[in-house]
Amino acid sequence: MQIENDHIINVENLQKTFYSIRGFWKREKHPVQAVQGISFSVRKGELFGIVGPNGAGKTTTVKMLSTLLLPTSGKATIFGLDVVKDTNLVRPRIGFTFGGNKGLYSRLSGLDNLKYFAELYKLEPDIITRRIKELLEVVGLTGRENDRVETYSSGMQQRLHLARALLHDPELIFLDEPTVGIDPVGAREIRQLVKDLIKRGKTILLTSHYMYEVEELCDRIAVVNHGKVIALDTPAALKTQSSGDCVIAIQTPNGEQSLQGKLESIQKYLTQTHTSGDTLSLYTRSPSKVLNELAPLLEQNIITNIEVRNATLEDVYVDIIKNHAA
Amino acid sequence: MNVQFRMRTLSLFSFGLVVTQPVIFSAVGYFLARTAGRTHIDFIHTIIGSGVMGLWSTLLFTSFFDLRADRREGTLELLVGSPTSIFSILAIRAFANVLLGSTSFLLSMIVAMSVFDFSIPSGNLPYFFVSLAILLFGFWCVGIFLAHFPVVSRLSGLFVNYLELPIGLITGFMFPVSLLPIWAQWLSRLIPISWGFNGLSTSFQTDINMPALWTYWLTTLGISLVYLIGTFYMSKKLQNMIRVTGELSSI
Repeated sequence: MQIENDHIINVENLQKTFYSIRGFWKREKHPVQAVQGISFSVRKGELFGIVGPNGAGKTTTVKMLSTLLLPTSGKATIFGLDVVKDTNLVRPRIGFTFGGNKGLYSRLSGLDNLKYFAELYKLEPDIITRRIKELLEVVGLTGRENDRVETYSSGMQQRLHLARALLHDPELIFLDEPTVGIDPVGAREIRQLVKDLIKRGKTILLTSHYMYEVEELCDRIAVVNHGKVIALDTPAALKTQSSGDCVIAIQTPNGEQSLQGKLESIQKYLTQTHTSGDTLSLYTRSPSKVLNELAPLLEQNIITNIEVRNATLEDVYVDIIKNHAA
Repeated sequence: MNVQFRMRTLSLFSFGLVVTQPVIFSAVGYFLARTAGRTHIDFIHTIIGSGVMGLWSTLLFTSFFDLRADRREGTLELLVGSPTSIFSILAIRAFANVLLGSTSFLLSMIVAMSVFDFSIPSGNLPYFFVSLAILLFGFWCVGIFLAHFPVVSRLSGLFVNYLELPIGLITGFMFPVSLLPIWAQWLSRLIPISWGFNGLSTSFQTDINMPALWTYWLTTLGISLVYLIGTFYMSKKLQNMIRVTGELSSI
């Protein structure tokens, strides 16, 4: 079982096609290509992020790698083991969680949930007791373990999910949208837990919709759209690939129409624009030139506010997705 | 295992149903027989049969709806993705279901003995316990077989009601199989619990027909093992099938 260059996940042209059945009398199978050829690799100890719009194929990719789905074609290895042929060898070495409230027996206590899953992972009874106690402390659920999961908040349930995924001390953990639906305080606690796991030498593959989260946590990010990787690099490198280094956000109380005809002189400095509510975002590599042109509009009260900032990862992400769609 | 039992006793209503249903059915069976003017009560098919019917109902419904509950809770994916095979998981659940369902049978026996003066000759007790163990083994094997269907198909729960009473009828719980048409008798022979129930009935006889008893025991064990081995190989194929369709998380 060779592990290439310390890469514990190797994905080569992975594809997954589902079939949607249509019709009542004449039932036809329509293929839906969820993943159209994804390739990437993840190093040991890395926190690798996969981002993309809904339906991009993130969760499908995670499910193929965590052996829940069989790929239609392509190859993926984890620790040098094929996820299709060596399923029984892969499963004890990985943990996974899927976001949301599902995935726990709500009428059982947190402790019973952990005991049950620990048994599924064939842990010895004395190890189960010790491990559960440790993990409850790590995830901050000590004292609530005997309460039914249905009484837990969303954040507590997500922390219990994490504890469940860590029961057998896996080397590799898949986290599919771990903070979805969680309040900011709970989400921050979960992000801290994820950082602690990396410090303990775990390798993590994380999917998320929240750019600030992947920017904060991930060593590298793959941007996925329509089942393909369209960008893959570190957050810093991705930001430099952006169409604009700078974002100038203009607020116009009378809407974008009030600016019609007034921005023609700066069009040559802009790489793209984006409107959200009464705010128009201008992307540019020449902020000073753009600001010079905008200053008179500010004096005339056509613009009420100008904010200048560096492009965030979210800006880059939107840019990449839009360019790919085009 | 104790987590499995706890899951099955969470609802006092369903647990109460397992306890009260056999008592009610046994009593109804007895009084119907008396009202029909029978001087000799066929305890096997009125009271004991009710208990075994309760065992069958419990096993059938819990086998099907356990997995449906897992789909709804989102835990089915976690079970399939664990290192423990789905066959092993369902085997342990079926065992817990059989043990829970056997309370129905034991309660019927208690009702029969304490209220209706039914008794087992003391010399028959060893044969009774062996017959009961073999019958429960048959139930267990059938339970594992049935439990695989909800893993594959979300719609399989619709067929539960089609199985409950018909199987109860053709396996001879409520009346002798010999009263059924020939084709139904042949169907009955394919189900291990029919043979197991015959073994149990024979163990109550004052003068036990030992060759017949051994036939019932060995046939029950043989057909049960066929179910068990067949289900084991079917389970592997089903696992791959569900990993292709990806319907584990949909209800």
